[in-house]
Amino acid sequence: MLTNKVKKRISFLGLLLVSVVTAVFFILKSLSNNILYFKSPTEIKLSQDIVYTKKIRVGGMVKKNSIDISDKEIKFIITDLNNELVVSFKGTVPNLFSEGKGVVAEGRLQDKDFFIADRILAKHDEKYMPPELKDIMKKNVE
Amino acid sequence: MFDLINPSKIFYLIEKIINFINSIFFIILIIALTFALILSPPDYLQGDSVRIMYVHVPSAWIGLASFTSIALLSILNFIFKIKNLHLISKSIAPLGLMFTCLAIITGSLWGQPTWGTWWAWDARITSMVVLAIFYILFILANKLIEQKDKANKISNIIAIVGLANIPIIKFSVDWWNTLHQPSSIKLDGTSSIHSSMLLPLMLMFLVLLLYCALILLMKYKTEIIRIKKKNIKRI
Amino acid sequence: MIQNFLTMNGYGFYVWLSFAVTILSCSILYYKTYKTLKKYEKDFAKELIRLSELDRELVLKKSKVASQVFASYNKFI
Repeated sequence: MLTNKVKKRISFLGLLLVSVVTAVFFILKSLSNNILYFKSPTEIKLSQDIVYTKKIRVGGMVKKNSIDISDKEIKFIITDLNNELVVSFKGTVPNLFSEGKGVVAEGRLQDKDFFIADRILAKHDEKYMPPELKDIMKKNVE
Repeated sequence: MFDLINPSKIFYLIEKIINFINSIFFIILIIALTFALILSPPDYLQGDSVRIMYVHVPSAWIGLASFTSIALLSILNFIFKIKNLHLISKSIAPLGLMFTCLAIITGSLWGQPTWGTWWAWDARITSMVVLAIFYILFILANKLIEQKDKANKISNIIAIVGLANIPIIKFSVDWWNTLHQPSSIKLDGTSSIHSSMLLPLMLMFLVLLLYCALILLMKYKTEIIRIKKKNIKRI
Repeated sequence: MIQNFLTMNGYGFYVWLSFAVTILSCSILYYKTYKTLKKYEKDFAKELIRLSELDRELVLKKSKVASQVFASYNKFI
């Protein structure tokens, strides 16, 4: 049923598919550092070649009870549950910024434990529910 | 069975389906919008901005599904050289491009109040932009290349190469750190969206699917008339 | 209640704009598709009218598609 021409086309497509997939794989692999939108505190702790003058993004969770707001700045701790990083920021934070929620900070590292941010982005998770339900869940946990 | 292939029967059927969709479309649209904008609750965290999801997510799904079907049709067309398949994929492309752009625009409108930025070059958003570029290349190849065979061949290959981008979009949120949250509705069918919000989401998806069906059927009808006109003397 | 519905508790601009953009682009694409369809129907009907009376009768009798398109064109104008 399959003529020679059809067989030829199928093998061409097979070859095309394999080469595209390998090409994409290697491109993504070589770019993997740039694809990551942010680094976690652990990745920063482990990395050897940090350029302190370069802008980077750090992401994780805002540690519970770590937000400290003063007149001049807001300080909080980003954690990925293994390592922590203190962040200082002057400016307004997004509405969704709060304790225990995801956050991405853009700015410069001062040293491995201290980060000065120019911009704060809030990261939310994939769960959506009405407020009443959240209250009930909270009560159950307590 | 033969009756179904008879073009005048198909034409009659298409007419009937178009009329049917037209008659129910606005009712379903109003129900879906009522649920999406009034009856569904705000989110515990995002408040009313969660309502943007009801246009953003279905648009993204349709954008992805359209490109996948274009690519699969292109594979079949490339192997078996069936001309009609290319006509179908050519009429899906503008719809897919529109919904991909809508997903990007509504995503941007959702990002500003929740994340705090209109735009982020994270893996999910960038790969959606790449998808839009593949749509544009596909459409341009068909428009600009004058030789029909060549245009078919090149646009088919564009679609097949672009197929590699689809799993990247789907899994970008799992493979890399992104600002975009992971999928709420998983491939295994579980969902982390509360049912009171899932209902408007599915209703809006249904409305947009009906809309797509309507557009495609109208294009199909146009195509039949075009062919009939060419052979008018031979009818 | 109505106030809340319009402002969406501060998110009104974003919510309404995203729904508006979606509905507007869908309407534009629908309108364009509809116009193309009507244009082809018109062209087809014109072609039919240009045929001689006898030929037209024959075509309309033989082809259901032709008679349907012709009828819908006549209804349209």
